[in-house]
Amino acid sequence: MLLSTPAYFVFLVGFFFAYWMARRYRFGGLAIVLFANYFFYARWDLIYLALIPLASSCDYLVGLALGRSNKPIVRRALVTASLALNLGLILSVKYLPHLPWLLPIGLSFYAFQALTYTLDIYRRDAEPTSSYLTYLASASFFPTTLAGPITRLANLIPQWSKREVLSPEEGSRALFLIGLGLVKKLVIADYLAEHLVNRVFDLPKLYSGAEVLTGVYGYAFQLYYDFSGYTDIALGSALLLGIKLPANFNRPYTAQNIADFWRRWHISFSNWLRDYLYFSLPGLRSRTKIFAYLNLVITMTLGGLWHGANWTFLIWGVWHGTGLAVQRWWQVLRGKRAEPAGKTSHVFASLVTFHFVLIGWIFFRAANVGTARDVLAQIFSGTISFANVTPAFAIVLAIAILAHFAPTRWYDGVVRLFSSAPYYAQAAAIAAATLAIQYAASTSPAPFIYSRF
Amino acid sequence: MLPPKTTLAIVTFAALMVLLNFTKFARPIAANGVVDFQPRLGSIPEAAAVRPAPAGSLHQPRGIVKRNLIDEHGSLTSFYQALWRTESKVPGAVTRILHYGDSPVTADSITADARSLFQEHFGDAGHGFILIAKPWAWYGHRGVEVSGKGWRMEPASQARAHDGLHGLGGVSFQANTGASSHFILDEPHTRIEIDYERQPGRGRLAVRAEGRPIGEIETDGPAKEPGFLAFALPPGAQTVDLSVEQGPVRLFGVSFERDAPGVIYNSLGLNGGQVQVVVRYFDKVQWAEQLQHQRPDLVVLNYGTNESIFADYIERYYAGELREVIGRVKTAVPNASILVMSPMDRGQRASSGRITTVPTIPRLVEIQRQVAAEMGCAFFNTFEAMGGEGTMARWYDNQPRLVSADFTHPLPGGARKVGVLLDQALETGYRHYKAGQQRQVAQDRGAGRP
Repeated sequence: MLLSTPAYFVFLVGFFFAYWMARRYRFGGLAIVLFANYFFYARWDLIYLALIPLASSCDYLVGLALGRSNKPIVRRALVTASLALNLGLILSVKYLPHLPWLLPIGLSFYAFQALTYTLDIYRRDAEPTSSYLTYLASASFFPTTLAGPITRLANLIPQWSKREVLSPEEGSRALFLIGLGLVKKLVIADYLAEHLVNRVFDLPKLYSGAEVLTGVYGYAFQLYYDFSGYTDIALGSALLLGIKLPANFNRPYTAQNIADFWRRWHISFSNWLRDYLYFSLPGLRSRTKIFAYLNLVITMTLGGLWHGANWTFLIWGVWHGTGLAVQRWWQVLRGKRAEPAGKTSHVFASLVTFHFVLIGWIFFRAANVGTARDVLAQIFSGTISFANVTPAFAIVLAIAILAHFAPTRWYDGVVRLFSSAPYYAQAAAIAAATLAIQYAASTSPAPFIYSRF
Repeated sequence: MLPPKTTLAIVTFAALMVLLNFTKFARPIAANGVVDFQPRLGSIPEAAAVRPAPAGSLHQPRGIVKRNLIDEHGSLTSFYQALWRTESKVPGAVTRILHYGDSPVTADSITADARSLFQEHFGDAGHGFILIAKPWAWYGHRGVEVSGKGWRMEPASQARAHDGLHGLGGVSFQANTGASSHFILDEPHTRIEIDYERQPGRGRLAVRAEGRPIGEIETDGPAKEPGFLAFALPPGAQTVDLSVEQGPVRLFGVSFERDAPGVIYNSLGLNGGQVQVVVRYFDKVQWAEQLQHQRPDLVVLNYGTNESIFADYIERYYAGELREVIGRVKTAVPNASILVMSPMDRGQRASSGRITTVPTIPRLVEIQRQVAAEMGCAFFNTFEAMGGEGTMARWYDNQPRLVSADFTHPLPGGARKVGVLLDQALETGYRHYKAGQQRQVAQDRGAGRP
């Protein structure tokens, strides 16, 4: 059940009513959430009805035991068990795809969230919850199941205890986010994919260098609108229940440097890598400064490999890790943050960063290294023809670029306008958006790109 | 308690959508499937995704070997005879196939797989014809790396040569002093043959193998005429260079061959290739000379995909132009078998979002079948063999995908399927032919006939 399909929204509306009617009793609300979570997983495959409760129960018990034990050796054994369980889930789904219990969706986002719980308790950054139901409902919270945002359970669990009703502002914002996410995904991302990007990455040698370059630019924005569209729907779905999930994007292609990019792109993932992987690697406190650089490369390489067992992801991870390490070295060398001054410098820095990221995206998107090489070779072939770039594609790409770089105050203004509108105007606006999606989106919804990770 | 404003907004939105659906402004929203507990992203089993048409029975009417390979007139007999000689390892028995087609053939898709299967079963007599350089980045030939610089390339389907001389492969290459080509072979071959144009005022070409000179070609001549010159390659040589020592020079291609019985499967694709390109832009006389020089046992005419977007042209002119192309081949090489190979399925995205077959494809395939029968040629229905209508939709949904996102160009897995289907159809036909011949010989012997 993709988050962009009518079936999901029927499910969401039914769940919304059931949740708020049962919400006056904390147990009732959580029971409804848990039922919805498992219903959502079961729609993908019934095997999850066994797998998820089992894994969640293990982590819950590990959390309780960690909370009660002060013996380092016991605590280390417990957290190791949790790591083995959750990393085993990630690795088995990603690297053993031909097992008979082949799973239609990856469990890595579930596992990442579950690990935040046991690792935070192990580090004494959080307390375990005593409520089994609260833990089960939080660990498998359905809006974050497919592709995040990776939510620290220590931040999610307390939100179930809130007693207040959803405010009109929050409700309006939730509806706006869902509508915006659908437009991003169905009107922009899927259109860009269908009308050039997929073709160019399938058979790059069939297209001119200019077309391939346009396709690569298109992919950069397709990926952003696909993933941020998903995130908006996930954030909006959670907010309909009064639950606030962390932001995942902040206009990433305006980044001034590669570190800035990772503060704006897939923020929950980069925070996870930083907090739970980078800081855990050995050597950071060593006098040998090389570890500070090496660990960046290792972290991003592992982050790349998390996307799949493919050389392309390895290269993508090493590319970003090296970029981060070189930037760190440059900052150390200059003794200050390498922030550009002046508007022209800002634009130049953004363009350089964007194109650095763009080269990474070629490897990220290509089916294999040979295809990535073909894409690069075509771009540098110097052949110019736009026969396969339709005016409609160019317009959608231009809208995508302009919307991305539009000032945030414009976005905030639209949200305020929508929130202050009466309910019937909001309903009419969403209906109009639905009609626009029906007529503008020429394809049936494609799976979200990040749902396969 | 329900949040009032958000609840009202949702209920009003639902009511509006019901109203819009009722008044037909909105398209129906398929909200069913909420309780459909089926995986959505799981792999579609390949067998289900690629549905080949059923194979014909062994008791089909004479001349029809397999439903998708129709040979009512026994047109493939001379090809089968050549294959038999090759299979029997008769010295010098090389079976030569010329496969003309459009963009997939340009990239040696389909043909590379058919070639490797034929050569695996009947022997490898070499890579065959290769263009002098890459007119399209997409051009390729499995097992040979080709690169060139300094050539003015004139494909018949695009920047065509004004005199219509496009050689066997449909591309003319002209260059001045300093131009060169470099070939790297995956395995050593015994011979290279250069296909060039001799004409007054032309220059000289040097040929090197592994960096050492093996010959020169003087392309100057009293009149315009085709030139073919072969050179023995040193044992073990895997790299060959051509360089224009004195320009101008005009070439059409090279052929790599082995001294062994086997199959040479020439891949002769043109990006944007159509029968009308052959009719209008291939010089009739020069193409005939090129075909005659090759002495093919089978000529495959595999066009149709590019024509499929011109519905009116298909109805009014296609049959006539296909007849013209077949007629030219028959006149040039009357002993060769001719196989008209239909295009693959071609998909398009309908307004409903579904991928459907381009409506002209079945009609075009039917015209090809009729013309082939009328002209005494064999016909291979690729479209039906790969699964008929909707195949590209299934190929697109398959994991891994078998067709590109343009629903036209097969990805390697799809190309291999088509190559295998073609090889299977022809080899099945050959086995039937051989069995029939052997039965006949046995009957003749039993009847005491010599």
